[in-house]
Amino acid sequence: MELVLKGFGEVVKTVTFRVRRYDPEKKEMPKYMEYKVPVQKGMTVLDGILYIKEHLDPSLAARYSCRMGICGSCAMIINGKERLACQTQILELNKDLIKVDPLGNYDTVKDLVPDLSKLFKNHESVKPYIVREETEPYGEYLQLPEEREKYALFTECIMCGACLSACPTMATDDLYLGPQALAQAYRYIADSRDAGFNERLNLLDSKHGVWRCHFAGACSEVCPKGVDPALAIQLLRGVLSKNIFIKYKQNPAKLGPERASIKEVL
Amino acid sequence: MAIENKKGWISWFNPIKYGFDRWLFAMHRFTGIVIGLYLMAHVFETSNILRGPLTWNNVMVFLDWPFGIHFGPYILSALLLVVVFHALNGLRLTIVENGLMLVKPYRPEYPYKPKSLAGWNFALKIVLGILMIVISIFGIVYIFTGVIL
Amino acid sequence: MRESKIMLLQYLTGLFILVLGTFHMLLLSVLAPTSNKVLYQYSSPTNHTLIGGTLYYSTVTAIYHTLLWGSIFELLLTFLVFHIFNGFRIILSEQFPGAKAEKIITYSMLIIGLIIFIWGSRTIVLMLLQGGI
Repeated sequence: MELVLKGFGEVVKTVTFRVRRYDPEKKEMPKYMEYKVPVQKGMTVLDGILYIKEHLDPSLAARYSCRMGICGSCAMIINGKERLACQTQILELNKDLIKVDPLGNYDTVKDLVPDLSKLFKNHESVKPYIVREETEPYGEYLQLPEEREKYALFTECIMCGACLSACPTMATDDLYLGPQALAQAYRYIADSRDAGFNERLNLLDSKHGVWRCHFAGACSEVCPKGVDPALAIQLLRGVLSKNIFIKYKQNPAKLGPERASIKEVL
Repeated sequence: MAIENKKGWISWFNPIKYGFDRWLFAMHRFTGIVIGLYLMAHVFETSNILRGPLTWNNVMVFLDWPFGIHFGPYILSALLLVVVFHALNGLRLTIVENGLMLVKPYRPEYPYKPKSLAGWNFALKIVLGILMIVISIFGIVYIFTGVIL
Repeated sequence: MRESKIMLLQYLTGLFILVLGTFHMLLLSVLAPTSNKVLYQYSSPTNHTLIGGTLYYSTVTAIYHTLLWGSIFELLLTFLVFHIFNGFRIILSEQFPGAKAEKIITYSMLIIGLIIFIWGSRTIVLMLLQGGI
């Protein structure tokens, strides 16, 4: 057997990749095509897809970039569960048939490429940036390490889109904001530098906002970076519930000393 | 040109790959619908009390022996299981979905097991699960034999 | 803002239903005013005529005729109707998202809920009146 990847050693076995194909130019329904891929130790599903593109079928379309699990481009459904293709070892799946589908709950543009515009639109609508009254701060906002720990977990999101694919509410409700947007909304509300709780409140407290989450926890189960969006959403619900009785007050962090005024290293 | 890929509600009943909590959500929703439909029938059934002792007793006997088969206790037991599950899981959700008894945000460590499903949430699942089994045993024994343990 | 208040009511009615529903279950079994706490007491194992038990006509009317248990049932019915039809509204609005569908779903759930509530309250109130308060 030829060496697929240099430096990876002997071919251990051959697996079958069953990939969902869809061509937007043709008017056909999506169908599954099978490819035989030789597997060496250490090969990831992304390596398998690239083998198919190089040797078997160059028309297979997929998104991928960093191949090390930080860009979030290669999220797809592998053997029924959302994973990053570059982080999934073929031999660890312990199966001879690897079923690869594009992410669910998004439109499929072609083959394994999902249309992530719903993810980005929902994220944008939640105002994912620090909202303050002043438009041009002249220095930095001061924040203690303990204050950072309150939301640092949710900053790790790489926007791969796996959570929206796993969410059972997202499976039926098009207008739901989704775990990614809600977790990012909490990340900014819990940030001590932010003052924009009231601006985000109407969207979060709406009929398809935070309250349509039912804590199935699937989003946290599939998150490749362990961001735990389910925790952010439940904490956000705690904030909104308390807000009914006692208005939630944010104490936005103060500005530090003006940069121009610092003449020497302290 | 792009084609829809919505999973639909049928995906709730394939939660094998996702973990216990997604399955609990599917069961909670299913039991909720069953109890809702049952209650509507129950309100109409109990209004028979206004039609006097003969009608009422006949209705009761029919529900115990539908079409001559002693099926009533099985229906009642299934109903008991459904109600107890929905009530106890609902109690857990009331606590956790309002931000109480949740773990504090942490720093993620490989292999990234989500802590929101562990901690007190897990303890609640165990305690309420045991409570559900105990109540179901008491209830089913009572329904079939009339003996209160 | 309003959705969080509706959900707060959903959780609170759920808790009240838990308490009042337990009373209802205990009333049928442990607290029933009969000596033999079985559900159905037949005259003989083959003859299916009821002569006693907690679901027998006289047992049930003895409970319904008291003001205390009548008001507990009425409260239970109120909370149940809200919880159930709000739950149905949530489930349906997730299956059929959109502003127009939302209106149809809310109004139909409201109407059906009112029908069930009125029918159940009619039973309870008429039972109380027949027994004389």
